[in-house]
Amino acid sequence: MADAATQAKWDKLAPRFDGMASQGAERRWKPHKQKLFSLMQGKVLFMALGTGLDIPAFPPGQQITAIDISPKMLAEAQKRIAAYDGSIDAQVMDVHEMPFAEASFDQVFTSCTFCSVPRPVEGLKAIHRVLKPGGELFMFEHTGSRLAPFRAMMDLMTVLSERVGPSMNRDTTANVAAAGFRIVEVENVFLDVVKTIRAIKPA
Amino acid sequence: MDRRWYFAVGDFLASLLVGIVAAIAAWALVSPDWNMWAAMALMMPLGMIIGLVLFFPMGALLGAQEAMIPAMYTGMWAGMVVGMMAAMMPLPLDHALQMGAACGVAETLFLWVANTLLRGKVRQAGG
Repeated sequence: MADAATQAKWDKLAPRFDGMASQGAERRWKPHKQKLFSLMQGKVLFMALGTGLDIPAFPPGQQITAIDISPKMLAEAQKRIAAYDGSIDAQVMDVHEMPFAEASFDQVFTSCTFCSVPRPVEGLKAIHRVLKPGGELFMFEHTGSRLAPFRAMMDLMTVLSERVGPSMNRDTTANVAAAGFRIVEVENVFLDVVKTIRAIKPA
Repeated sequence: MDRRWYFAVGDFLASLLVGIVAAIAAWALVSPDWNMWAAMALMMPLGMIIGLVLFFPMGALLGAQEAMIPAMYTGMWAGMVVGMMAAMMPLPLDHALQMGAACGVAETLFLWVANTLLRGKVRQAGG
């Protein structure tokens, strides 16, 4: 059963989410996301589709399975799903309880997801399970900072932000490694706070 | 920072705005009978809170972390600098505004340098 508190939090945010994120954040990040998503191939799982703000950055013609914990977020995403030049099978699902068989996917993509998953290492282990050996994990995430002045600010901000949405201070790169992936590449997009991570499930 | 004009100009104006608003708040609250260290200690968090409050409308236009971090830092510095100055001497408003704006400019430059140093690939397979 999906984490009810997390589901309720994102359901509540769903009607306002595009207003908060679609202009500034998505315009700012779109070129970086397009570059990352252009690597989609094979059987793709997309985590936390949300209201579908990432869909315009998807390359056309892909067959994508997408999940999100919030039915209201996915309801908001329907127009963007319908407009996509390819196929998106969107399902309400908790990353911790994915019913997919082991080794089901060639690639998994995340976009600002693991700031919000309540148990990030366990969530990443669940992704590890459904990826084929040698399968790739591509992440666009905001994380905490390793630099003291920024780290202190992200810690402070997290006290507030966790009440309504994401954490600001997670070490997602370390979490990926702790879940059993081999980190292939980390690229900072803004300071060391917004980044892309590419990792592989060892064969 | 971002090289697109919309974001480059927007980031700069946002930092100026936060610096000026935090400076006005510190100027209005602190007077020369304050202890300088107390003024610093209280105006730093107040400036951060002002930055955080202004981040919400600015963030919708300018981004998430790219708007939040400069806003909170600029507010913190402007609050601290103007608070300390106002505790040390009678501070005219126009001087406080100039210092707040200067904090905004300095923060923009600092983050530009920090981002230039940090962005890009930091780890590759075998590297």
